Amino acid sequence: MVDPTIPAPRRRAGLATAFVVLALLAALAAWWTGDTFYLRLATEALIFGGLAMAVDLLLGIAGLLSLGQALFFGFGAYLSGLLLRDAGLSFWSVLAIATVAGAAVGLVSGVIAIRARGVYFALIMFGLAQIAAKAVYNVQALGASDGLMGVPVVRIGVGPYSVSASDPLSFFLVVLVVIMLMYALLAYLLDTPFGRNMQALRANPLRLSFLGFDPWRYKLAAFVLAATIASVAGALYPMLRGFASPELLYFQTSGNAVITVVLGGVGTLIGALYGSVILFGLKSVVGTYTEHHLIVIGLLFMAAVIFFPSGLVGALRKKK
Amino acid sequence: MSAWLESLQFVYAPQVVNGLSLGVAVILMALGLTIIFGLLDVINMAHGEFYALGAYLGTSLLLTGLSFWIVLVLVPLVMLPVGYATERLLIQRVFHHKDRHILTLLLTFGMAIVLEDVFKLIYGPNSLKPESPIQGATELLGMMFPTYRLFLMAVGLVIVAGVWWVVYRTRLGAIVRAAAYDRHMSASLGVPVLRVYAGTFAFGVALAGLAGVLLAPVYSVFPTMGKDFILMAFSVVIVGGLGSIKGAIVAGLLLTQVQALSSLYISPVWSDPLVFGIMVLVLMFRPQGLFGRLGHG
Repeated sequence: MVDPTIPAPRRRAGLATAFVVLALLAALAAWWTGDTFYLRLATEALIFGGLAMAVDLLLGIAGLLSLGQALFFGFGAYLSGLLLRDAGLSFWSVLAIATVAGAAVGLVSGVIAIRARGVYFALIMFGLAQIAAKAVYNVQALGASDGLMGVPVVRIGVGPYSVSASDPLSFFLVVLVVIMLMYALLAYLLDTPFGRNMQALRANPLRLSFLGFDPWRYKLAAFVLAATIASVAGALYPMLRGFASPELLYFQTSGNAVITVVLGGVGTLIGALYGSVILFGLKSVVGTYTEHHLIVIGLLFMAAVIFFPSGLVGALRKKK
Repeated sequence: MSAWLESLQFVYAPQVVNGLSLGVAVILMALGLTIIFGLLDVINMAHGEFYALGAYLGTSLLLTGLSFWIVLVLVPLVMLPVGYATERLLIQRVFHHKDRHILTLLLTFGMAIVLEDVFKLIYGPNSLKPESPIQGATELLGMMFPTYRLFLMAVGLVIVAGVWWVVYRTRLGAIVRAAAYDRHMSASLGVPVLRVYAGTFAFGVALAGLAGVLLAPVYSVFPTMGKDFILMAFSVVIVGGLGSIKGAIVAGLLLTQVQALSSLYISPVWSDPLVFGIMVLVLMFRPQGLFGRLGHG
């Protein structure tokens, strides 16, 4: 019997530890064999795992399905690309700015989006992300359809030392630290009274207001948090790949994050990271046999929705 | 005064007619979406892929040498069992959960991903363009328009009127509306609700397939054709009101005119964000859309 008073992240502390251990083992194996390709892929999986974590925070904790989380991911990516290329800022200041700016954009779009409920929230996020994607696609200053090119390699200062983002192993470890720090922060937050109220949003928002709390505030808080996480994860992307493209804002990116969350387990947060690794692994394995890996992934996703709906539903807001 | 008339004739009129032909196409898509939502509460994310399926089926059938007019009738007939089976075998599996809104949305989203890749697998990523069955141009208001586009508008209007007539003026339509309003009461009165659900889903899918065949000669056929088109249809359905037939028609005409006429003043690339902006505003301030949903009032 699962104790519902203990938040999922604490119940899954073992899974989080296991994830870090597995990641370190993978890094060790890559260092041993001198592999760079899979390490880069794993880094990308972690970055998109961060985006999925943001989607899970909304879907699994607050009960809001976001079909446009790529909006904040793309925002972070373009912001980071611009700051690195044109302002020459350091790694940590870029992350700090992506955090603050992500929260600010999250606040503005949150006020717009959480006016709508349920499926309307999903559609309003879809619309907002679509507007942003079309805008970025057409703005010449942002590279239009080509994307933001020529983002320089950043050096990451760690105390007296510094490592380069072009070194696959170092950057993998840096991304692992950033993503796991965000996970740890969320896991801690969910254990506080504030976090408990946020989880009450999907359990019973009406009772939340009977107890004197304003559901709107908690919804907005969850939304801003999720936007910030997606923005920080996005900020890491151009450091890995050297560019930011409009595709990062497309529905495909948002949709992939939702698929990741459903495959990894809704409402667990750490499941988003596992899901992302599984999805990237699947794409690369199936991809060696056929370029049509989306058929396999789509069918798996449909199976997950059909056969584990109670797992999914249990994590969603209960509606009478 | 004559300069004003000339700009009306040569600048605005063509935009209005082009907007109308796109509008009729979008309404065909939006009708299916809105009827499916109105009755089943399902946001069909795969609707655009059913539209593409219709277009691909049509193109394949045309290659066998069948005449366009036979294909135009055949494709919706083939799509009916496809839609019926989809509803019975897939949608029904998650339909009775409390969160069917979100579960069915996710499920149809998965279907869209699979279908799109299947199109790529079978037909390749490049676009095909079936030959237009009606060649030439017709003069209208002193301007030349492709005859096929005018035909498209006429056919679209007939179909829209037909759907409206079926839903609001026939016994079948009354059954559908009753099931949308209160499925338990309808079931008690002997309406085979499950079959009505599957049938309605199939009908919506067939409409999308029909739109696919009709538009294939104009917009050409490629794997992501549904995705590009469905955004507009979603905006129309939301602005008009999810589940409202009247709303889909009014908003379909309105939004495509906004898109067509705004491109005279702003760069056409910004007319899409404008339409989505209207959708977001409607979701913010009037989430139920301009009109109420099917079976309600």
